[in-house]
Amino acid sequence: MVTAADSNELDDLLRRCARQDAVALQALYARAAPRLLAILVRMLGTRAAAEDALQDAFIRIWQQAGQFDRFKGRAMAWMVAIARNRAIDLQRARRPTVLLDAAELAEAEQLRVEGPGENLEFDAAHQTLRRCLELLGAAPRQCLLLAYQRGLTQERIALAIGQPLGTVKSWVRRGLQSLRACMES
Amino acid sequence: MNYDRPELLDRLAAAYVVGLLRHRARVRFERLCGELPPALAARQRWEDRLLPLSLALSPVMPDAQRWSQIERAIAAMSAGAAAPSPRPAKSRWWPLALAASLVAVAVLIGKLTFWSGPAWQPLAVLAPANAAPLWRLERSADGEQIKIRTLGRVTLGAAQSYELWVLPGGGGNPVSLGLLPRQGGLERRLTPAQRALLLGARQVAVSVEPAGGSPTGLPTGPVVIVAPIARAT
Repeated sequence: MVTAADSNELDDLLRRCARQDAVALQALYARAAPRLLAILVRMLGTRAAAEDALQDAFIRIWQQAGQFDRFKGRAMAWMVAIARNRAIDLQRARRPTVLLDAAELAEAEQLRVEGPGENLEFDAAHQTLRRCLELLGAAPRQCLLLAYQRGLTQERIALAIGQPLGTVKSWVRRGLQSLRACMES
Repeated sequence: MNYDRPELLDRLAAAYVVGLLRHRARVRFERLCGELPPALAARQRWEDRLLPLSLALSPVMPDAQRWSQIERAIAAMSAGAAAPSPRPAKSRWWPLALAASLVAVAVLIGKLTFWSGPAWQPLAVLAPANAAPLWRLERSADGEQIKIRTLGRVTLGAAQSYELWVLPGGGGNPVSLGLLPRQGGLERRLTPAQRALLLGARQVAVSVEPAGGSPTGLPTGPVVIVAPIARAT
């Protein structure tokens, strides 16, 4: 999915962006935009909102490329964080009346599985994460996935699943602790 | 918060990566990551744990027009009066250009001399009537990119931008080649349509537009420069 060679190439493109090389940004866009757009469509629900967020994200990537150095070797994670944070800001600026339908809630509960990957190292990490998420139990897993994949606040999650805020916070906190313990074991 | 306690730092990092922090708390945590290596390490551990969920999604191709909008926005930032002075993009070809310059032949086009390097060829010099040139345009030998350099002092209100147009050789509407920088320079990759038009065109033009470029896709403000295109060598 993101091999070491890919990662080096993305690092190099970001360094060139820091030197105001717009050609490098275009190459970076060709490489990373489809993956970032997939994340943004999942978070924002509509293609139009996701594409606007993608545009904002690439402008930020261009503006902040000078700060990339300390994330060397982690270009994709760095760009995903920028895109996700933009989506979270847009998500929170929306009126809280936009709620998920039953199918979307069920999807978060069930832990949606995507097609097979091409990178064994990545697949191993993905399998470990999936296994540990499955061990969490349906409710904590649903809360974590609604937060991470949909960008919902804990307040919005509580509304969406009809549970008290305190319960949701407790599930999220315990879910994260269990996830870490499982992935480190 | 006591950032010396690893378990608290880990909880904060998890909340950041999952997306639970409010905007201001998020910005504070990002600043902390720049100052405190254990905070950065905690953040990166959580990113590593959760990133597979993001990267396992099937890629979605953006709309074909999206890149040109991003490019336009970036050119507008480079051209913005209030923006910090951007460093001119370093040409990847400078070692070649330097070598070529040792045996270079200066080619006189109009009033200006260009280096006829192996990678870039002169395209046009943009000068308002009875005034000094403001920009120099070059195109890459493969015709896929143009390079724009400012030559003089470009003055324009912050609410306006200079936009570059190619005038199609066979008539028809001008087609935008993007905004012109106020200082420094930039390189821009052309779309296949822009490349084809440039090949057959004899003139380029510059108009004054609202900041960020023409809202209609055609020149809306005064055309201040029309310049001939140098024939490709």
